[in-house]
This record gives sequence, structure tokens and C-alpha cells, in this order.
Amino acid sequence: MSVAPVTNDFILEGIDLKKHFGGGGLLSSPTVVRAVDGVSLGVQRGETFAIVGESGCGKSTLGRLMLRLIEPTGGDVRYEGQSILKLSKSEMRRLRRELQIIFQDPFASLNPRMNVGDIIAEPIWLHSLASGKDKRERVADLMRTVGLLPTHTDRYPHEFSGGQRQRIGIARALAGDPKLIIGDEPVSALDVSIQAQIINLLEDLKERFGLTLVIVAHDLAVIRHMSDRVAVMYLGEIVELSETDALFDNPLHPYTQALLAAIPIPSPTNRQPKALLQGDVPSPAAPPSGCRFHTRCPHARPLCKEQHPALETAPDGRKVACHFWREIQGAGAGSISAPSQSPALAKRLALYRTWRERQDKAVTASP
Amino acid sequence: MAREAAQQTMAEMNNAAALAAEQPLLSVRGLSVRFDGAPKEVNVVDDVSFSVSKGKTLCIVGESGCGKSVTSLALMGLLPTPPARIIAGSAMFDGQDLLTLSERERADLRGDRMAMIFQEPMTSLNPAFTIGDQIAEGIVRHKKVSKAEAMERALDMLRKVRIPAPEKRLRAYPHEVSGGMRQRVMIAMALANDPQLLIADEPTTALDVTIQAQILTLIRRLQEETGTAMILITHDLGVVAEVADEVAVMYAGRVVESGPVEAIFDDPQHPYTIGLMGSVPSLGRRQGRLATIRGTVPPAELMPKGCRFTPRCPFSDSRCANDPPPLTEIKPGHRARCWYAPLEQHLGAAS
Repeated sequence: MSVAPVTNDFILEGIDLKKHFGGGGLLSSPTVVRAVDGVSLGVQRGETFAIVGESGCGKSTLGRLMLRLIEPTGGDVRYEGQSILKLSKSEMRRLRRELQIIFQDPFASLNPRMNVGDIIAEPIWLHSLASGKDKRERVADLMRTVGLLPTHTDRYPHEFSGGQRQRIGIARALAGDPKLIIGDEPVSALDVSIQAQIINLLEDLKERFGLTLVIVAHDLAVIRHMSDRVAVMYLGEIVELSETDALFDNPLHPYTQALLAAIPIPSPTNRQPKALLQGDVPSPAAPPSGCRFHTRCPHARPLCKEQHPALETAPDGRKVACHFWREIQGAGAGSISAPSQSPALAKRLALYRTWRERQDKAVTASP
Repeated sequence: MAREAAQQTMAEMNNAAALAAEQPLLSVRGLSVRFDGAPKEVNVVDDVSFSVSKGKTLCIVGESGCGKSVTSLALMGLLPTPPARIIAGSAMFDGQDLLTLSERERADLRGDRMAMIFQEPMTSLNPAFTIGDQIAEGIVRHKKVSKAEAMERALDMLRKVRIPAPEKRLRAYPHEVSGGMRQRVMIAMALANDPQLLIADEPTTALDVTIQAQILTLIRRLQEETGTAMILITHDLGVVAEVADEVAVMYAGRVVESGPVEAIFDDPQHPYTIGLMGSVPSLGRRQGRLATIRGTVPPAELMPKGCRFTPRCPFSDSRCANDPPPLTEIKPGHRARCWYAPLEQHLGAAS
């Protein structure tokens, strides 16, 4: 079921991507885990594309497949229209300059024995982009760009806080002048106030360098804030792919509806009991027959157990994999109503923003 | 002037009413905890006061390092001493001061009249014992029952937290069940002896959003059934809005704002609370960039003498840096630790 996208300006495409783990050799486990099972998607140039789902849905595996950090079991990945699966190691390495990734855990993804200057300079050295004084200047530049002090180049990762480490990871990703960056849960390990800083930074950088962003995340509020289009994954498959506002205003797939209903809403005024999804995500080693969501779906019918629904295109261009999406349409509409701000909060938040900008100006004015 | 006086009388009336109504189940006053080796005057928990009544939920909100977990461990008597030392304060629980109890008295209380749920259900369950054994252990420790009766009670608890096939799970080991299920086991264990107070330290942080919703609903339902008071520690404002009756916002070891949940969300006073709310992406259509809080929590040796939020606060001045503001009552029951609250009255004109 490969939907060949013909229009649009895709920078990165996955076509019927599959990644199965296990079941290979004599010593590996006999069960096959279908982490990603037949996923097709296209990322448009300049957009922020989000992949969302719960743990074990295959979203991180998909992100890695799109960069060929792991080899797919089947399917193809195209960058600028060319398949990257047939490239040799050295060709691939050259391409990595343009395709970068930021990892979730800023504590595990930086080499503790390298100082920050070397960590950021490594891609510059690797791709022979600059050397000597030029290289040092470039590193200092990058550090300023992501909001670190260039005087800290000699420090080691453990001397930085989580948010600063994530900035280091971002500076390193930027070092090779990338065209596309995949963020694998780039803010989920961070505190709320730090998370907001990093989200704003990523948006600024995207604007400034004309980047395309792919955000793999589980936090739907972050996704709504950052992304243009969203793909929702469940057990290795895309169940819905849509423009962000359309998806949040009127989710079509029952899983998306349940996911949105589960978000705690930051307003105590209208608390109401929610229709909740029961049970856990089934093991991807033994996914349910037919529609994989039928075991937890409140709308499931006999057909769902037998027949696997294809990802079909709705009239407005959205894609949804559900036999009955037309009938259950609207079941999730308005499931999340953004809380309206109280006048007092709105007033103080405006005041806060004004003074906050002044605070930033004061910093840049006095070095 | 006249307005202030009126406010004062109103506050007094309110206090009197509150006293008449009900004594809180737990009342913490001026709790301060110090770590050995920390700079002078910098307590990891500093002058923290709050109370929680029967059947109510208090949420303690704050980011990493704000002292919310240290506070809860101090109440449970689980702080490692040294390095941590409780240097001031009291915590009256049903007529007893928790902080002056002997180790033995504490052990009698823990898991019986007060219980705790931890963040990471995998590391807080013993991998070498079955789920049934672990729940029954706490029951046998506090109640005069046989092992078989305790197992029966454990099975009841598993049913209560809605674990599918409870008979089977009773004999399962922790690694054999999913994360959401493990957290249910933790809840079953904590509630096995019908505690009066439950402390839940980030009970849903490690869970997926659909599982989080299940667990929060479960906790709320059990609380309604049993009338247990709860202290829920979290960093997630969404969770706070859904479950809290009262809220205490902590920053760098101090309560910077406290009050009823509606007051905190609709009428936030402290710049940190306001900044935190601006940092959370809205679920509605995008409304421009997020407001942010500058920088990070300063390390202990750089902690300012006055208000600890000074270096990050857009409104701060030299007064804030030198004089710690008191936790002042803004409206009855709603307190904020800021010299300039409400902000628009003090700073609105100058902007």
C-alpha cells in the first residue's frame, strides 16, 4: 500500500517502510517485533512535521529509519527524490551533514570525555568545513547561536544542566549546516520552563537557517504548538496523518480521539469525567489481527477484527486508517477545548512578556 | 488603607470559620531541611508550610530541585540523615508531630496510616518477590492477620485497582507486567491498610498519556471511596488542574505561592507561577511564541540572599535580591511570596 506522493515538494520521504526486529539467526529471539510496519510519509520542505504516539508505537524507530541510522527490513527512503538506501558508506557520511538528529536524553548523547568545544567541532572537522582559527570561530558562533557562552568551550558535559546540554546537542546538529533535523523527543526530559526555552530556540533556528524539522514526541501540547502536520502512530503503523489544526479540532481516527481526550487540561474550571481508553498497548510482537486498535477501540465492530483498514485519503486531503471513520466522525470533535484564560492571568502574562523582553534586551546591551 | 483593614477582617473571619469547620489532617509549619555541606543559610527546603484536610488533595508543583520530593520524604521519615537534617518546623498529623517520632513509631505509621507512591514503579518494587507477596507484606506488618488472610486482602486490592485477571497477577513478578500495571500495584500496596494520608510523588510521570489518565481517574475514585487525604507531587500543570483542591507552588526550596486551585490558575500572583503558565504550550490554536523563564535554578552557592527567584525574574530589583519577601495573604487562603504582588498594581503603571 504505497501511496506515491506526486505533488508537493518533499525533502524526505519514507515509502512503505518496514523494520522488523528478531526472528533472524540461530541465536536471536524467534519472535518478530514489527516495530515499523508499512509506513509511508513525505516531509515537505520547510515544514515542521510531527510523529506522535505512545511508547512502543515505533515512532523513534521510524525517525531513525528516515535517516538510515538503522537499515529498514523493507521499503525505501528518499532524500531530495533520491533513494539513500543504496548509497555507500562514504556517500552516506557526506549526506549526514544535511540530515541531523537531536536525541532525547541530553545526559547520554554527549561523550563525557570530550569538552564542549570538541563535541561541537567534531562535525566541522569530520566534513572538513573549517580548521584552525576558522573552526574555533565557528564553534564560538554556534555556541552563541544556541544561547551558550563561547567562553565555556573548555567545559565538559557534566558541568552543564539538562537544558544547556540539549543546547550543546543542537549546536552540534547545526555544525554541518543541515537542511533537515529530526528531534527525537527533544524536550521531554526537560523541566517545563527549560522546555519552553528549547522549543523557542528550535523555532528561531528553523526560521533563521531555513530548516525542515521532524519532531518525534509524545506530548501533544508541544506538537500542537510546534508542528504544521502530524502523523499519529499506533503499533508500527500510521493511523492518521493530517494538518495540525484540523487534527486537533476534529480528530478522525478513534485512537487520535482517545489520545486527545486523555490530555490533562490546564484549567480547573470545567473538570469532567472523561471517556477513557482501557487497557495497555498490545505487544508489537503479537499485534491484534485486522485493525490493530480494535482491542481498545470503543467503536470496534466485527469487521475491524478481520480486515486491516488501509490508510485512505479523506476529501480534505487528510489520511486516516479506519473502516468507519465517516460514521464516527465528530465523536472526538471538541474533545479538547482550550481553556480560556482568566482576565487576571491574561493581564499578568502580558505584563510578564513585556518585562521579559526588556530583561533580554538588558542582557544583550550589557555583555 | 480602609481596603486593607477590610481585607484583614475578612481574613480573620475566614480563619475563624476554617478553625471551626475542621482541623486539617496534616499541618506542616515552617519545615526546613538542610543538607550537610550546603552553604550557610541555604536550606534545600526552607520554611515550608501547608496543610491538607481529610478527603482533599494538595498538589505540590515545581521543577526539579525545588525541594518537593525532599519535603515528602521528610514527612515520611525517609530522609537519609546525614546528609539531610530537619532543622526546624513541625508536621502535626492527627495530633502527633511526625518530625519528633522515634524510628519505631514512624515505622508503625508508615504503610499503615500514611503511605507513599513513588515515581518509578519498576525500581520501587522488589524484582525477586511476587506482586502478591509484596502487597501482603505490608498488611502482615501492620494488621494482626495470617499470611493467607493477607493474600486474600491483596487480591481484593488488585481487584480494586482494576487489574485484569487478578488471581494470575497475584503470583506474577513485577517484570511480567506493564508500567501502567506496576503503578496500579504500587497504588494497591499503598492503599492496602486504608491510610488516612497518601503521598504520591510524580505517580504518572513515567507513563503514557492514556495510561496516565487511567491512573489519575483510579486514584480519584479510590480517594472518593475511602476519604483519604492526598499530597500529589508533580511538575505537570495539567495534572494539577485536574486533581487538586489546594496548590502549593515551590521554587528552590520555598513555597512561593499557595491557595485554592482556582485562585492559582485564574489569579496567579507570583512571577514564577505566571512564567510557568506561559511556558506550557496551549492546547488551543497557536498564540505566538511561548513566554519563557530566563536561565536555570542557581546552584546553592549562588543562591541570592533575598527572593530566590531574583536572578530569573523579569520584575526583580535590588530589594528582591536582598530581602526575602514573606508569604503574604493576597486574598483569603491565597498567599504569594513576592514584594510586588499583585503585579499590575505595583508595576503596571511603569511599563
